[in-house]
Amino acid sequence: MSPFYYKTAFETLQELRKSGERNPELVVTLGGKIIYEGYTGKLGDEVWSVYEQVFIAALDYRNDALAETCLERLEKKFPKSPRVKILTGMKLEAEDKLDEALELYDEILKNDDSNIATIKRRIAVFKAKGQDQRAIEALTHYLDAFYNDAETWLELSSLYLNYHLYQQAGFCLEELILLQPQNHLYHLKYAEILYTNDNITNINLALKEFCRVLELCEDHVRALYGVKLCTSRLLNLSSSSSIDFKTISDLNSLASERLSKVYSLYSKNKVGNSNNELRQIIHDWLNESDKSY
Amino acid sequence: MTVIVSLGKFLGWIGFLTLFHSAYSTYEHLSYLKAVEKIPNEMPIEITVECLISIVIFAISIIMVAGPLKPILMKDEMTKKTIDKVDIRPNFNTFNHRCRSMRSLVN
Repeated sequence: MSPFYYKTAFETLQELRKSGERNPELVVTLGGKIIYEGYTGKLGDEVWSVYEQVFIAALDYRNDALAETCLERLEKKFPKSPRVKILTGMKLEAEDKLDEALELYDEILKNDDSNIATIKRRIAVFKAKGQDQRAIEALTHYLDAFYNDAETWLELSSLYLNYHLYQQAGFCLEELILLQPQNHLYHLKYAEILYTNDNITNINLALKEFCRVLELCEDHVRALYGVKLCTSRLLNLSSSSSIDFKTISDLNSLASERLSKVYSLYSKNKVGNSNNELRQIIHDWLNESDKSY
Repeated sequence: MTVIVSLGKFLGWIGFLTLFHSAYSTYEHLSYLKAVEKIPNEMPIEITVECLISIVIFAISIIMVAGPLKPILMKDEMTKKTIDKVDIRPNFNTFNHRCRSMRSLVN
């Protein structure tokens, strides 16, 4: 039997906790090994965060035994903690007992009005029940008080996008850009929402935002495609001479040039026929779109 | 890499010893002056030079021990992020996905 590199396991779990990404299979495999083969002693104080993380992953992966074990140990150590109550609530959510979970969260909120984690779980329960209207109301109520919570603005914008309310989703993205102006990905999302919400002012603004993404992150391929789409849409849409024709077609050719550069660099690093095909397709498309102007 | 680090640590110890030696020499010189009842307003140049040399040795040893520089610009960090990493909202995860039904099939 190969040795279990528990140190690497601890580090991997810590990385996953930091980034917050959802990878239940990996966490359950590592966590199960750590808990059932008794490596928890080597963790020290970190063990409680690991229990919480493995519990949530076990709920995701439907490994009920592992979830029970983690919850028991957490309850033994922290008997009256609201955080552990929230974990119990999550277990009820996973077992599809959504109303009971909602009651539990309301009880916690009665004692402590501004327990942020509970407010967020309530919103998740509304989402799970399909009551998106209530979820949106609760989100806006929460964001009135705590407007600098990037994750919640993202959640609200994704809920609006489910209902194609592009203007409201754009507003959420604007708030996000105010919070983290140097994050090029928020500009990218905003630009794509604007482009989908199709009218002349929005396409102009979307073009500016795509250029901003390129300014923040050089040669971002998705933004280069965005510039090409926006410029071709503007050149198609404007019947009058209300736009600066030269600038826009220059931007279009610049984007094509950067795209061909990026793809030729990319296929230089890899070998194989499929990449040559890809390069050929891209070249043909770029040439076609350049020819129309 | 670890050769440089251990050499740096060794130099650090030498620097510390040099500094300690110059400090102790100052103390001894001052007590000598007090014993001879001269006014302590002049320090022999060797002690000053030894103190300055210890600073230089410390500087070299710290540069050796510190290791490679890490990138500090936000721009470099952000270019590595993909849009999938931005859309993570762990506090709002729901559990009513298909894994709930599929696990019973696997188990």
